[in-house]
Amino acid sequence: MDAQTHADEPAESMLCLMLAQPDNVPEMNLLVMKKIIASGCTPLIVSVNKPNKVLTKMYAKEGISPDAYYVIDAVTQYSGGECTPGPKVKYVTNPSNLTDLGIAITELLKQMPAGKKCIMFDSVSMLLIHIPSVNASKFLHFVVNKLKLSDVSGVFLCAEKGLDPVILSQMSSFVDHIMDYEKVGTTTCIL
Amino acid sequence: MPEKIPGLTDRTLNGPAGDIFRTIFLRIQTAILIIDPAAHEIVDANPLMESLTGLSRDQMLGKGCQGFVCPAKCGECPVTDLHKNILNIEREIINAKGERVPVLKTVAKADFGGKEYLVESYVDITDHKKAGERQAALIAFLSESLLRAKKPLEMMQKDFLQLAGQAMSGDYDAEDIRMQLVMHANNLHQIVMNLEELQKKALEGQQDEIPPEFKAFFFRK
Repeated sequence: MDAQTHADEPAESMLCLMLAQPDNVPEMNLLVMKKIIASGCTPLIVSVNKPNKVLTKMYAKEGISPDAYYVIDAVTQYSGGECTPGPKVKYVTNPSNLTDLGIAITELLKQMPAGKKCIMFDSVSMLLIHIPSVNASKFLHFVVNKLKLSDVSGVFLCAEKGLDPVILSQMSSFVDHIMDYEKVGTTTCIL
Repeated sequence: MPEKIPGLTDRTLNGPAGDIFRTIFLRIQTAILIIDPAAHEIVDANPLMESLTGLSRDQMLGKGCQGFVCPAKCGECPVTDLHKNILNIEREIINAKGERVPVLKTVAKADFGGKEYLVESYVDITDHKKAGERQAALIAFLSESLLRAKKPLEMMQKDFLQLAGQAMSGDYDAEDIRMQLVMHANNLHQIVMNLEELQKKALEGQQDEIPPEFKAFFFRK
């Protein structure tokens, strides 16, 4: 398929920044995960917030099998845990290692089976502990461009008012929608 | 020594009223240019205009206003051709060193000896701009501190409560809990370092990291 034909095709992917009160970010993760799976997408979770081992147990409690998703884990090594290798997981030394994070996203997206894919980034707010907002904005722009070029959907989780107006306005130009978790509730289809 | 070129105020102001006007023109703390609108030519400039531009009065007299104090092209003068009202509009003047000096510009029409002139006054707002930059830097510092400390701390508080629940549930082993505690301890350490770094930068007055977009947002109208 040449570039022109590809450009003429309507994009099927959707990019969304989802905001919630800091208290509700963990619940937002579970809700988004369930909706991604329900929409027939294969999720790729980029976690700068929870080790893979804990995520696996959290999802299992919600009836989500580890076979159903892929994970990029940027905190297990950072927290001195054991990085158990697996075909569906990649580890990054720490959340500030944006180069390795970018490479891991590229590699795992290639490794995932053909079909609809969706990245869930948990979370932009926690990433800001590790890098200044200016760098976070550049990195997220890079990720969004990569997703658009690969026709992959993406949901970026963020604590409400956890972004400065500039990042929010930049993100709003990158993504298709900005959603409020508390307003969207459990009924709206996000993908 | 070259002969001093007379300006409009030298030629037309006679008598006590003229002396009063001339004194005010020379001493007022606003830079003033008088323009002949027909020729678009500078016919007088006061001493404050000299210090604002770094050019002597003689260097300014007879110069065209277009391209000197006004970017408009010939036939597009905002006052005489476009009939715009120029009142305290923020503009920049390029001084003799090529530096851009922010000013508030006002243009008023005035009649001298039966002929219409434009009286253009300029107020240097460099200090005001610098104060605005400092204010933007402070707000950027506070905003960045909030982003990189307050929100993550709020999320961590929720995580600690979740951790307590995980410890009680029996579904999570000691390693799960330990890893999350170490992660949060490292995050807290990072937050403290971030705040120290931000404070250091604020104290040193480093404003390089303030994105221009932030300034644009802050100074939006």
